[in-house]
Amino acid sequence: MSGRNPTYTNPKPCKHLADYKLKHGLDGYNSLQKSLKTTPNGRTAMNRDQSKIPRCSFCSGYEGRLYFCLICSSVSCFSSLELNHAFLHSQSVKGHEIAVDMERAELFCCVCCDQVYDPDFDKAVMCKQIMEMPCNNNVVDVSIESSNKRRKVAPKKTALDLKNSRDLVMRLRRESNSCFLWGLRGLNNLGSTCFMNSVLQALLHAPPLRNYFLTEQHSRESCRKSSFDGLCLRCEIATLFSAFFSGDRAPYSPARFLYSWWKHSADLASYEQQDAHEFFISLLDRIHERGEQARPSNKDNGDCHCITHRVFSGVLRSDVTCTTCGFTSTTYDPCVDISLDLDPRNGCAMEVADGFIKQSETKDMSTLVGCLDLFTRPEKLGSDQKLYCQHCQVRRDSLKQMSIRRLPLVLCFHIKRFEHSPIRKMSRKINRYLQFPFTLDMTPYLSSSIVRNRFGNRIFAFESDEADISTEFDVFAVVTHSGKLESGHYVTYLRLKNQWYKCDDAWITQVSEGVVRASQGYLIYYVQKILYHKASEDMLAQPISPHRDSFLSTSVCC
Amino acid sequence: MRPSINRPPTPEAEEDQEKEPTLQEIINIKLIESGEKERLKELLRERLTECGWRDEMKALCRAFTRKKGRNNVTVDDLVHVITPKGRASVPDSVKAELLQRIRTFLVSAAL
Repeated sequence: MSGRNPTYTNPKPCKHLADYKLKHGLDGYNSLQKSLKTTPNGRTAMNRDQSKIPRCSFCSGYEGRLYFCLICSSVSCFSSLELNHAFLHSQSVKGHEIAVDMERAELFCCVCCDQVYDPDFDKAVMCKQIMEMPCNNNVVDVSIESSNKRRKVAPKKTALDLKNSRDLVMRLRRESNSCFLWGLRGLNNLGSTCFMNSVLQALLHAPPLRNYFLTEQHSRESCRKSSFDGLCLRCEIATLFSAFFSGDRAPYSPARFLYSWWKHSADLASYEQQDAHEFFISLLDRIHERGEQARPSNKDNGDCHCITHRVFSGVLRSDVTCTTCGFTSTTYDPCVDISLDLDPRNGCAMEVADGFIKQSETKDMSTLVGCLDLFTRPEKLGSDQKLYCQHCQVRRDSLKQMSIRRLPLVLCFHIKRFEHSPIRKMSRKINRYLQFPFTLDMTPYLSSSIVRNRFGNRIFAFESDEADISTEFDVFAVVTHSGKLESGHYVTYLRLKNQWYKCDDAWITQVSEGVVRASQGYLIYYVQKILYHKASEDMLAQPISPHRDSFLSTSVCC
Repeated sequence: MRPSINRPPTPEAEEDQEKEPTLQEIINIKLIESGEKERLKELLRERLTECGWRDEMKALCRAFTRKKGRNNVTVDDLVHVITPKGRASVPDSVKAELLQRIRTFLVSAAL
């Protein structure tokens, strides 16, 4: 899918529309507003007289598209280029060139015989919609002000992107002269700890985290003094970072870290195989907590400034719409990852006409993009889940739709491969292959895109428009699971300077792209493109000394 | 002069015969005026979105627009390109459901 073209926001008006605007301005649009009607699902049409159906003034026909002249209010039809009474109208009366598609509330130029677009028209339509639809007084979803240009502002420099990090990188580079690829190191398995090793590998190579810990932003000296039990998980992680980026390439045993983590999560302390995602979440939670103890001045409004939230925290938006009256209730929830259900393989139960399917895109496998589409698709809540509509004052059938209000710096996708059925007291693993891209544009899943789409993609500024946040992401780590639910193995694939490495506990091997693409993704980590490329610049690629090379270099064909 | 008994009867006004609506037209008008047509259209939109037909049409439109160039495509072009394919690919189940709804409506409208 091609990325959003930032220069395409407002299509240029045709000569006839431009002339119309000069002559009549907004008068036609404003008087049209009275005749517009919006259905609960967001479609706007011209409200027709219930007793009479609109008919073409030339042929009395009511079929095909009907166009309402903005100047004289006469109706003409357009069935085909041969049967084009809209054009006839523009020829028979001078200056009557702009009309409105009655069923769709879109502008039409009768001379160009094509739909045309005007932000002022869309604004008039949207204003009517906003006025008409039952509104939630707590949330101002759509702002009346229109800002037509969606400027693509240069991405903000994050606070983590310090000048210090570059200096540190240069210093460490000089010191570790035998480094082939900086930061690559195996982790010894301490007894079914591959779930932990796999996640740690991903975190150790998340650019914003790496920068933070390597620039000593968590100072181990001052921390040991302040923490009461001498066990700070952040210190342990900082130690890990130092160990990994020290230039030493012998496999590392994270025993102290494991011990620290056990102390903090007593319920998970065992040698049993555990879920990597659970570990990831609990680890982020523990780091966040410990941070709060040290600096109790954290804001309570959900905008936490601890390192985990600065890196991983995004905001999800949930819209619940009453299908009867259109009233929408919106809630925002922070999240540190996005859990996705696997999309069904054959999403289309369509009939195959001769050769038709071959030309279009077939859906014969699950893709990450498909999962995201599923995640943001409006979901009809079952009749047993009728929600109370504030406007109707009764329980009604509702539609729920998720979208992303704010993207984090690092996006973690958790693919729900483990199905737990409390009824059957059974759990099973879904081994279905999931295709995922190496670069991902999250624009279609942003709240601004989803909400705009709900209103017919009109040219209108929505309050949640975030033009200054980068939406392009690059993958940098993939945690995969192979085997069964109870007895499986986790392996992480890391992408450093566009080269992939397989991290299987203590064994690091170079692998080809194909291997990664064919793997069974469970946790897929993406980072904002600009941060990935900055990180790549910092990575060293000096010629290696063959004696010290303990890395195996194998190309495995998929 | 005696009037001819063979004189043909006064012809009916031709316009009346043309204006006489067909059964199909009567049904259509009744559907529209009662608002049932709009409801059926909503149902159809829902079904066609659910089964992925809408996404397929979107993909076809995109492909066509890419090929011809964004500025060389009109709405009418798109309609003409996808109409035959669209009509042919509506699932039978959707057709059946809508026909059933129309039948029910006809019975209730006592035509």
